[in-house]
Amino acid sequence: MIKKIPWWAGGIAMSLLLLFSFSLLGADRPIGASTYVPYFAGIIFDLDPEKYTYLKEIHNAGSWEGVMLLGVLFGAFLNAMFITKTFRFTIVPAAWKRYKNNSVASRLLWSFVSGFFLIIGARLAGGCTSGHFLSGMTQTAISSMIFGGVVMVTLVVTGKLFYKDSKNV
Amino acid sequence: MYDKDTSMLERLLSMFQTVQDEGHGSVLLVFVTGMIFGSIIQYAKVHKFEKIAGFAMLKDTVVPKMLFLAIGLASIGLYFMIELGWASYHVKPILLGGLIIGGIIFGASMAIFGKCPGTGPVSVAEGRIDIMVGAIGGIFGGLVFTLFYDKFKLLMGSSLGNPTLVTYFEANSATAVLLFGIVLIAISIAIPLLEEIDEDDVGYQK
Repeated sequence: MIKKIPWWAGGIAMSLLLLFSFSLLGADRPIGASTYVPYFAGIIFDLDPEKYTYLKEIHNAGSWEGVMLLGVLFGAFLNAMFITKTFRFTIVPAAWKRYKNNSVASRLLWSFVSGFFLIIGARLAGGCTSGHFLSGMTQTAISSMIFGGVVMVTLVVTGKLFYKDSKNV
Repeated sequence: MYDKDTSMLERLLSMFQTVQDEGHGSVLLVFVTGMIFGSIIQYAKVHKFEKIAGFAMLKDTVVPKMLFLAIGLASIGLYFMIELGWASYHVKPILLGGLIIGGIIFGASMAIFGKCPGTGPVSVAEGRIDIMVGAIGGIFGGLVFTLFYDKFKLLMGSSLGNPTLVTYFEANSATAVLLFGIVLIAISIAIPLLEEIDEDDVGYQK
């Protein structure tokens, strides 16, 4: 059973899925993956959707992505259990150990903080890697190119500043 | 419409109803789209911390190679699909403040978290506890954004419209999009292949 596909196969498959999702046969809409987070936050914290402008604005998109997310979780769990066999409980990623530290507390704290800001950033920009990068740039949207450029630069600058090069340790 | 006694379960169930009524694919189609989306990410391994944080450290290039190839191919395909009336544009507006401030916050968080909102769920489904903790952080991020949306809106600025390359190259739009796609595909091929590995991943071994 195939456990890994090369980058080009992943790229071709993703482009076909994007096109299918855009098409009238598919969902007639782009794939996005960050609106579901405030949508679920609204449900979990029992916020009145009539009272919060944002929840009203994202009601439809959040529902769509919410169902998609359930599909992602379900599919990835099945794959991890039966095909890729990648299911296991871990806390500190291998590369974090190599280039940052071995501390569970450090990784969990940074995860919580970066998870928090990841969503703030995505919602400020109106999209994430899926909605802006993949779906937006596929439409040659200028907004998505601006977002993509800023994210690429910030990602690499942060990578340089935040991690250490193991060779110099 | 909203009833204070509506339970969390009822709201979750209404999510399916909303999708079914909205006309952007049946619940089953959207669910399967998610399964395929997650599987492509999972098999290509681009959800791994080693791939995303590795790209931030310029030690792994699978993410940009796959991303640029997917966009390059899909941009050309979508242009012709729209010309034929098989699809339509859904372009996000240019809110400069939101795109730049949001992009900076997003990029920095992505480098540290080693995930984005689309790849995180795949890792959660594989048992990554740090990502579950990050997802809880994300839920709080979503809560804060919802509660203070009025304030965040001031940062985002007003819309400068939602142009695409097609808007600017009306007469030669096919050439412009074709060129855009080809350049991205060329970039994806030209980026040298670097890989950072999680040696514990059974599925990873070549």
